[in-house]
Amino acid sequence: MTPGTVLQVLHPASPQARAIVDLGVETGAILAAIFAIVAGVVVYALMRFRWREGEPDPHQLAGNRTIEIVWTAIPGAIVIALFALTARTMALSDPPPAPAPDIVVTGHQWWWEARYPQSGVVAANEIHIPTGRAMALRLDSTDVLHEFWVPTLARKITAVPGHPNHLWIEADQPGAYPGVCSEFCGTEHAWMHFVVIAEPPAEFAAWQSAQLLPAVAPAGAEARRGLALFERSSCVNCHAINGTAAGARVGPDLTHFASRRSLGAGIAANTPDNLRRWLDDPQAVKPGAKMPDFKFTGEELTQLVAYCETLR
Amino acid sequence: MNELAATLARARAVTPLQREHWAMSWLATVDHKRIGILYLLTSLVFFVVGGVEAMLIRVQLAVPDSHFLGPDTYNMVFTMHGTTMIFLVAMPALFGLANYVVPLQIGASDMAFPRLNAFSFWLVPCGGLLLHFSFLAGGAPAIGWFAYAPLNEMPYSSSPGVDYWALALLVLGIGSVGTSINLIATVLTQRTAAMTLRRLPLFAWMILVNSFLVILALPVLNAALVMLLIDRRLDAHFFLPPGGSPILWQHIFWAFGHPEVYIVAIPAFGILSEVIPVFARKPIFGYEFVAGSTVAIAFLSVLVWAHHMFTVGLGHTVELFFVASTMLIAIPTGVKVLAWCATMVGGRIRLDTPMLFCIAALVQFLLAGLTGVSLASAALDWQTKNSYYLVAHFHFVFVGLIVFAILGALHYWFPKMSGRMLSERLGKWTFWLMAIGFNLTFVIQHFLGLAGMPRRVYTYADLPGWGWMNLVSTVGAFVMAAAALVFVWNLLASLRDGEPAGDNPWQAWTLEWATPSPPPVENFRALPPIRSRRPLWDIAHPDRPDPVVGTKGAPDIVAPEKNATGVAAFIVSESAFFAVLVLAYLYYQATPQPGPSAHDLNLPKTGGFSLCLFASSFTLWRAEAGERRGRRRAMAGWLALTILLGGVFLVGQGMEYGTLLHGGVRVGSNLFATTFFTLTGFHGLHVCAGLVALLVVLGLALAGDFARRPSPALRAVGLYWHFVDAVWLVVFATVYLLPHLR
Amino acid sequence: MTMGRFLISDWSWGGAALPLSAAALAWYLAAFGPRRRLGYLAAALVVIFIALASPLNALADGYLFSAHMLQHLLLLLIAPALLLFSLPRSLSLALRPRCFGGPAVGWIAGVGAMWLWHVPALCDAAAASRPIHGLQTVSLLGLGVLFWRQILAPREAERLPPPGAVLYLFAACVACSVLGIILTFSPVTVCSAYALPPVDRLGLLPALRAGWGLTPERDQQVGGLLMWVPMCLVYLGAITAQIARWFAEPACPAPGETP
Repeated sequence: MTPGTVLQVLHPASPQARAIVDLGVETGAILAAIFAIVAGVVVYALMRFRWREGEPDPHQLAGNRTIEIVWTAIPGAIVIALFALTARTMALSDPPPAPAPDIVVTGHQWWWEARYPQSGVVAANEIHIPTGRAMALRLDSTDVLHEFWVPTLARKITAVPGHPNHLWIEADQPGAYPGVCSEFCGTEHAWMHFVVIAEPPAEFAAWQSAQLLPAVAPAGAEARRGLALFERSSCVNCHAINGTAAGARVGPDLTHFASRRSLGAGIAANTPDNLRRWLDDPQAVKPGAKMPDFKFTGEELTQLVAYCETLR
Repeated sequence: MNELAATLARARAVTPLQREHWAMSWLATVDHKRIGILYLLTSLVFFVVGGVEAMLIRVQLAVPDSHFLGPDTYNMVFTMHGTTMIFLVAMPALFGLANYVVPLQIGASDMAFPRLNAFSFWLVPCGGLLLHFSFLAGGAPAIGWFAYAPLNEMPYSSSPGVDYWALALLVLGIGSVGTSINLIATVLTQRTAAMTLRRLPLFAWMILVNSFLVILALPVLNAALVMLLIDRRLDAHFFLPPGGSPILWQHIFWAFGHPEVYIVAIPAFGILSEVIPVFARKPIFGYEFVAGSTVAIAFLSVLVWAHHMFTVGLGHTVELFFVASTMLIAIPTGVKVLAWCATMVGGRIRLDTPMLFCIAALVQFLLAGLTGVSLASAALDWQTKNSYYLVAHFHFVFVGLIVFAILGALHYWFPKMSGRMLSERLGKWTFWLMAIGFNLTFVIQHFLGLAGMPRRVYTYADLPGWGWMNLVSTVGAFVMAAAALVFVWNLLASLRDGEPAGDNPWQAWTLEWATPSPPPVENFRALPPIRSRRPLWDIAHPDRPDPVVGTKGAPDIVAPEKNATGVAAFIVSESAFFAVLVLAYLYYQATPQPGPSAHDLNLPKTGGFSLCLFASSFTLWRAEAGERRGRRRAMAGWLALTILLGGVFLVGQGMEYGTLLHGGVRVGSNLFATTFFTLTGFHGLHVCAGLVALLVVLGLALAGDFARRPSPALRAVGLYWHFVDAVWLVVFATVYLLPHLR
Repeated sequence: MTMGRFLISDWSWGGAALPLSAAALAWYLAAFGPRRRLGYLAAALVVIFIALASPLNALADGYLFSAHMLQHLLLLLIAPALLLFSLPRSLSLALRPRCFGGPAVGWIAGVGAMWLWHVPALCDAAAASRPIHGLQTVSLLGLGVLFWRQILAPREAERLPPPGAVLYLFAACVACSVLGIILTFSPVTVCSAYALPPVDRLGLLPALRAGWGLTPERDQQVGGLLMWVPMCLVYLGAITAQIARWFAEPACPAPGETP
């Protein structure tokens, strides 16, 4: 997606989104014409049939059956046409699901988990796909309803707990395609952003391999103390880091945390300063987030940030 | 106040006693005109509350990354804004107008049931207070006005705000049903003799059709709300996984919710159908088609609800059927819009304030209807739903059509209600500020939606375009707020020293203009002859009256008995309520679950007690026969037997419950237990209510009431009792017999 | 076999339907003589023929629940209405005893016919046994006539007045919608005869399952939706006609009309 694009929905970057825009243009043209004609009649009436002092009452026309039939039949025909166009676009933009998904996306309050069953990659809020190939997503939720919406790539679809839904995601060109949660899901619904990153197949494969590598034991002293702090604090109750003993799936997987572009599901760019602010008091950055304030000291914060920055 | 009271006294609208105790006379009134005004005042108060909430929302969204409101506060504000505007502003305002205008338009002296009318009104401030009490009791609900599950359930919304919300809506829903039963009974039974159904003014006709929709849709909401409260307070799983289905909440809610938007739109259509002809100085174009299309819209509105659920994963097959039905509803709607346009063409249009508001409503509704068609297309909805495009669409309906129509109606009927004209100058200021402000606020939101901005977000990132578009929208909101202030100023100033209005300041043609402004207590001292749909036109133009609208068959002339009509409408509403509970029961019985099941129920014993209940219908029939033949003692005897049999049935139910509770079965044990207790419990509640009513009738009979004059009370209560028995037939067959038929 | 060949080739003589139709035609001509309304009778017979002898019938015979539902709609809603249209306007359809002529009976007949034949046991029986299937066909036609008689009886005096007719039809739509909702959204198979793989006499199963995507679950969904939306649209059409009839002015007011 080119930077500076305002109307994302009108800049499709996939065949599915393009099918929807095509229908939108056709429908929009018809509806705009109807608006122009009817509003035009109103404007005409206002100009031509104003009351003027002393003029007699107008002809008290009560109706005309022919006109009524005509202006019922024409919308009827338009409706039939729009229905047919819609049916076609539904099939084009939302093909039947694959038997097995390529990516399992799970909505949580308030972040997105992405799991790749075939390779074993686990990611959070950043979904990588190869260009030129449609990826089958299966969507689920662990708590309330969420909705997965990447306007430039596909229709939106609800993640319903206990009722998996399916979506095809594909991108014509490499790029970063932003997405949001569009079903109100509680306090931080506004900051449940994610991004779909489309890469050429070779780069995608490289990304996958990198994601599968466990976290390397940190070299620097601060970072080592950070790891020790991580392991003995309750961090391990929620977060997993491949290569350590931490394996909980409540919060995002942090194994390759530093490789991501944002933290807090889009609330801030992933920089050491922002990370420090987050660890200092997550509630100040994202009020209502499920991560409590651990009241780390300044020194502990430095250690943790140092460690997290090694998690590339 | 003294001057107003004096004016009203001169118009015989207020008796001297009332003038002395004016506060009490307003609080205790059962006069439909005063109740109508009370509804309007209440909705005005809540309009300010909801409007402040709207301003808070727009101030928060004016710039990206704003910290003016925290997320929880914002989420409460938008939830309350939506709930308040729909249930405490739009519905009361429209019911208020209906209350005031409909009896006048049909030549009646009051509504069919004045005390029910007062009761239904007072439920509105009651419900409003209950809803707003949540602010003091742990926080307002923060779940959105349609409160999707599982977010509305305890694990995700533990504050009692949600419970207050549900209780408030239950209270308001009961009030709405009461008003609609009253309106149906009024229009069907209280019309003056010459006002046949086919001569009804379109506003009255649309209110009649609309009232049927209300009695069908609101009970569906009530069922959803009680199921939610049972989930939250009795640990059940109607809508909470595992076991429960969040999608079921959506189905039930939208089965109410979509008819609801027509419930508020149809009266607005009625207003436009009254005002536009009067100010174009010619009759509505195609009265029959406008009246008929209203019936079609009401009918279709119950077939379209799943278009709110296109993204939930219902499957293309189901979705396509709803695309079809939703697009179809555009046709009768279009017929109306075109009828209004054709009324203006060839007329002599006067652009007084009421007409300005109605023309704007027409054009804005045209846009809303067309964006609605774009949303009816599931594929397009897949991109635009839950974005600001949708927010723009429904505000074009709720504000662009409905608020504008209400403002038009207030400017149109205020002279009739108060005897004074509103200032035309201030009215035009209100209009232009409102029109500019509204369009500035909401037109740009269509584009915000296309830019990818989702709804219900307390803030947003600084993405290209989002900042300035939101700022424009916020500026528009301030202009609308100014319009509201001018309007309130206009109301107060005109009440104090507006021009006297006279009977018919707009030279309109329907009956409410054939009486002084404000009307005397009994509404009409004399009615003009009524031969067509415009009696006052016929009087003003005896040389060229409207063609006579003949009478056609019994329904046109014969009025059904009002109590039976009221009870019949009540039965329809209760049927809708029970239908939802039965469907929920069937839905959850379809999949086997561990835990208690229908096989734990005692079929023979309950069957025996059921026979008692069915027998009570027979004994009641005998009692009714006795009353018809004037045999008071026989009637009382059969009545007592009916009550006894009903009591025995309840004892049997108690025994069934006792056995289950003793066996450790609780409401929340599993979904069989939940649906069983809910269904039979509410039926039992209805039996209790019926027994109370029968006892009252028995008491009246024993006190000699029925000897002196025929009373419709027994027949009315009897209808209700037979209905309760019929419901048990269905419930017994479904719960006890069906499992054995598999 | 492909759907195309199937649609062309798989027509039957319709069993007893053909001779009975001929008999009906003959009786009509004998009783009323050739007249304009004969066209409606012909149309009714064509609809019945399509329901019972066309490829639709073959599909309904064990393959598709939705086809069976379409058959029902034709036999319960469309054919009886056309039959009533074909009767001369002066013919009285008053029933004895009088209580059988009431709207309650007509309504229960029409709505009950739909509900009754979808009780799982009865649905399966009709699918399995020829005699019961015949009984089902005849009952649908008969009960359909009883239902529509309230709206379309030849004599105006024997019909419901339009406002009553609107309520009658609306209530029927709601009642059938409830059944339609149950069929569409219920996870349980209502008519198990269609859920089990049929004996694929015609070699259609691959085309239906793969080509048209009609799994048993989706088939039941479509059946439920057919009962619901198109059926209610037929009722809506009837309601619109009733309202049109009600608002239509007589050529001149009848003498003695209320002024």
